[in-house]
Amino acid sequence: MGSRQITEKALTMLRSLPRVSLGNIRDNPGYKKNPKRGRGQHGGDKHGAGNKGSGQRQNYMRLGYETGNNPFYLRMPHEHYYKGHHLRRQYPPFSLHELQLIIDKDRLDISKPIDIASIVKSGMYNFTPDEKHFGINLTDVGADCFAAKINIEVQWASEQVIAAIEKMGGVITTAYYDPHSLYLLRDPKKFFESGQSIPRRMIPPPDAIEYYTSAKSRGYLADPEEISKDRLRLAQKYGYELHVLEDDPNYEMLCERKDPRQIFYGLEPGWVINLKDQCILKPKDSELQRFFAS
Amino acid sequence: MATVWRSQSAFARIFAGKSGLILNNTADLGAKLNPASISTLKKHYSNYAHSPFVRKIQEQYEFEIIKNPPEWEYVQRLLPFESIPKITPKAAYPSGWIPQKEEASNLPYFIERNKNQDLSIYLDISYRGMRKISKIKKIEGDIWLMNDDVKDFLKKRYKRYIETRVHELGKFIEVKGDYVNALNEWAYSKGF
Repeated sequence: MGSRQITEKALTMLRSLPRVSLGNIRDNPGYKKNPKRGRGQHGGDKHGAGNKGSGQRQNYMRLGYETGNNPFYLRMPHEHYYKGHHLRRQYPPFSLHELQLIIDKDRLDISKPIDIASIVKSGMYNFTPDEKHFGINLTDVGADCFAAKINIEVQWASEQVIAAIEKMGGVITTAYYDPHSLYLLRDPKKFFESGQSIPRRMIPPPDAIEYYTSAKSRGYLADPEEISKDRLRLAQKYGYELHVLEDDPNYEMLCERKDPRQIFYGLEPGWVINLKDQCILKPKDSELQRFFAS
Repeated sequence: MATVWRSQSAFARIFAGKSGLILNNTADLGAKLNPASISTLKKHYSNYAHSPFVRKIQEQYEFEIIKNPPEWEYVQRLLPFESIPKITPKAAYPSGWIPQKEEASNLPYFIERNKNQDLSIYLDISYRGMRKISKIKKIEGDIWLMNDDVKDFLKKRYKRYIETRVHELGKFIEVKGDYVNALNEWAYSKGF
């Protein structure tokens, strides 16, 4: 029988066979593993669990536990460097390079004062107040390439960062926000939709008061006179010419600051924002006005 | 006192007015109830959602409603972008990032940018930092020609052979080693 005959025979056979479908195929060999423990040859053995102990009984003890001994990792006394780390305020970093990048990409409007709400709005920075994040730590990465004149408000800044921003003729303020106001700044739309009145911003906790009242860190509670003195000191230290704010065409924008009790720019505590009807509800009651003004 | 509470009359007093609540088992313990008094309508007194709406609330505080207020500009500033803002061309980009150029579309191959207008060139670190692979993603057009160009560029710069891998269906090229900065530079120079 020649090969041609075999081919034709195979083809006629194929024609008579049904089409391959889900109904007549089967799994590849070895696709399914039998979940049962066999009792045949080697089946009565230890089944790969070893002899006695944790392996057979599946009681895997926690790391470092020595079945009741004083564990090795607890034997030596140590200095508790990270004591209370879970209670400390954290400031997730955001660099000057990233700030310049979002300015280049038109995600940030520098003709308006910048605060944490506008930086979060850009989509390039996020933080979680419930993880003890208290806002932006502006870091000096990219301080050399930074070239924008801005009025920025962050929660933490080093001296180099302050110098880099003031060198370009900008203004920087460090301001404290309590976690509740940070939630509002993170997603203002969600808050406005909830129909609640804008709350007051709380004052900083005792251990943060020194930072936010000092002119060196450009604290929002610092004396403006002291700040202008320190601006000159920093300009002399880093060797750049200080821009005169009063002569600047954007003087009004550069001098715009929030009230220590204010959360959003231009919106006062106590107001209710109605996004649907585009109107603002301002409290008329003297009792409420006194409460929100305090 | 306890004995008084356990008495049948006291039990009935607790459920007074809530006949619908009394279970079949407990009904005969208290006062006798005719079947008509047990309503089939369920009332979940513990569920807040089923409680009736509060009507006629007395307005406690007065608010001044201002339509089209001048402060609305501040509100709009806070609202999120509806779409990713378009990038206006600028004289200089101090951050080192460059937008995609028109001339890039004339080449036989093309690298698409991602939604943040960044180059789709990434570094993949695996095996505890032992293996580093630079990956160029979203390649359109003649991928093999691009592979030759990339290899040529890297060979000229580092003066040695650099291994690459082309995945035509996946539209990516993998370069063995950390060459992300060099590849970014190459892509920017081509206008991608």
